[in-house]
Parts: sequence; C-alpha cells; structure tokens
Amino acid sequence: TLIGKDQGALRDIVVNANPAQPPLTLLVLHSLLSKRYRVLSTVHVHSSVSNVPPQLLSCLGPRHADSYARHMFQLGFTLIWKDVPKLEMKFSIQNMCPIKGEASVARFLFKLLAPYPSDPALATLVDSWVDTAFFQLAEGSAKERATVLRALNSALGRNPWLAGPEFSLADIACYCCVLKSGSASSAPANVQRWLKSCENLGHFGPAKLLLQ
Amino acid sequence: MALNLTINTSNVPLGALLAAEHVKGSVQLSVEEGKDTRLHVSDAIQFNDANSISRYLARVAPALGLYGANMMEQTEVDHWLEFSARRLCGQPGLTEALGELDLALSLRTFLVGHALTLADLSVWAALKGHEEWPSQGKSFSHVNRWFSFLSSQVPF
Repeated sequence: TLIGKDQGALRDIVVNANPAQPPLTLLVLHSLLSKRYRVLSTVHVHSSVSNVPPQLLSCLGPRHADSYARHMFQLGFTLIWKDVPKLEMKFSIQNMCPIKGEASVARFLFKLLAPYPSDPALATLVDSWVDTAFFQLAEGSAKERATVLRALNSALGRNPWLAGPEFSLADIACYCCVLKSGSASSAPANVQRWLKSCENLGHFGPAKLLLQ
Repeated sequence: MALNLTINTSNVPLGALLAAEHVKGSVQLSVEEGKDTRLHVSDAIQFNDANSISRYLARVAPALGLYGANMMEQTEVDHWLEFSARRLCGQPGLTEALGELDLALSLRTFLVGHALTLADLSVWAALKGHEEWPSQGKSFSHVNRWFSFLSSQVPF
C-alpha cells in the first residue's frame, strides 16, 4: 500500500509549523487523509511560541475518543506550532531527511491520497502550479500575483481544473494561495468560476475556517 | 516526439542542463541557445523554470531513477530541489545552508538513496554557480567530498 509494507506500525507524520503562517494546504490535505485512513491527529504548542489562537489549536478537529489506542490507527498526524523559519515535516526519520517547505510536504501528503498523473507532462504541470502557488502567489509582489492570476485564468479557460480534466494538488495549492493572498474577489472570470467549483467539492472548510 | 530545450546563455540553468545531459541517451532531445530558458514538450505544454524542466526530464526517463526509487525518495528529491532554488541560488546566508547540507551528507554518498538523483544535480549546480562556494567549501568536509566526487564523474 501507499503507506508502506510495515502494516503493523503506525506511521507518524510530524509537522512543525509557524502560527504566523498557518499551512492551509496541509489542513485541507489532513482532512482528506482523515476520510481515507484512520488518522490519529494531535496538536501541540512548542515553548518557542505563545498566544497561539484557539482556532489553530483545534484546527485538526476534536481529540479522538480512542486516542489512547495507537494500534487502532494507520497514520499519526502531529502538528506542532513552533517558531520555525520554514515549515518542516519529519517522517520515517531513520531513512529520510527532514522535509522543509509547505510545497514539498503537500506533494508528499497528496501522494498518500492519490497517485500523480502517470503522464510525465501532466505530473510536471501539477508540480509547476504548486511551485507557482507557493512562491509567486503566496510570497510574490502584487505584480507577480497579477501575472499568476492571468495565467490561471487562461489555463482555466481551456480546462475545468488546472492540470486538465482531473482535480489535483495544483488546484488545492492554488486555491489556498489565492485565498491567502486576498485576491479572490478581484480575480478574473474563469478563476472566480473555478474558485466556486473548488468550494463545491467541500474540501476547503478547514482552510476557510482559519482565514476568518 | 523530440523534445527541444532552449537555454538562456546569459543565465544558464546548469541543473536542468545536467539533467538533459543524463537523459539524452534515453529520449530524443535537442538543446539550443536562445533568449529564454524553455523546454518545448508540445505546442500546448512548455516549461520555463529549471525545476519543472528537471522534473519532466526525470519523468520521461524513469529507468535512470533520477526522481528516486519510491515515494519517500521522491519527497526528498522535492525537498532538495526547493533547497537549491531557495537557499543556494543567489541567496545570502550560504554558511547556514552549507551547514545543513553537510549534516545531510555526513552518512551519505548521494543526497537521496544510493544513486544519483535530481537532488545531486540541482544542489551541485547551484553550488558550482555560487560565487561564495569556492571560499567556503573548505570548512564543510562532507559537502566538499561529495562535490569533488560528482565533479569527477563524466557529465559534470
């Protein structure tokens, strides 16, 4: 299976994230993972940060009633609010380096849900949109954001979703970064239509909750 | 169908060029000089940034294993692609990034798994093009060993 040969062991995903930059895509992916796997989710606060808002403390949902029985779960998802310069994920630390950056972590979590397109061009198109979302939409200047919105608009004029006929990580990443950058209301027509289609899927509740 | 890679000669994407060099025995690929860096896959699909070009080339030549052998290795490759683009390419604070890299290489011959991947190509290329690297290289023994090892291989 996707989560590995070692069926008996609970596979632990530990994410250190800065409360000043809540990782919206990871919350969406966490909620999707919870529908697919039995996920034991926990939120902690590291001593390096204080006054973490209550919506961040409860962002992975209520504490699971069976949380004492780790053997009943397939995946552990532990989110630690911490003063880190860059989001970081630790998984299977004996043979894997810590993974830094929301984009790389999102790619990993998405692969636990669905395989990437088998076509090399479509798979790379997904990755290219993910990079664009995190680096140009979320962190870029107003001019860069406007360029990306135009590119989104033109891609969405040809296809219902960013990487063609199927909803993908490209849509999750771009949706979250458009919302976070505050450009949703001023976005061009195809982007507006696509934002609505994304919302109709019902996956984005956890992200929207944090933006309020 | 033949792929066409155009290289911006005033800002050579060394990592993508190394990936092209590795896959050229497996896929039909022509490289030419031009104003902008661009991989032309088809009229509908073109990639302009170095990481997307590298990813695509690794995926069309899966037998070379440049994108790692499994999902965990793929994730590590993604991590190093971002590391080279964001922490090494034209960024200040090289010392801190080199410290991280040195730690990762302390028990490894290659950055990911037991063979060459895009991680090695992109990080090597970013260091090679970094003006501070020659003066700082001496202080990081593992990075230095890995860098010279790759430099001695044929396509580098």
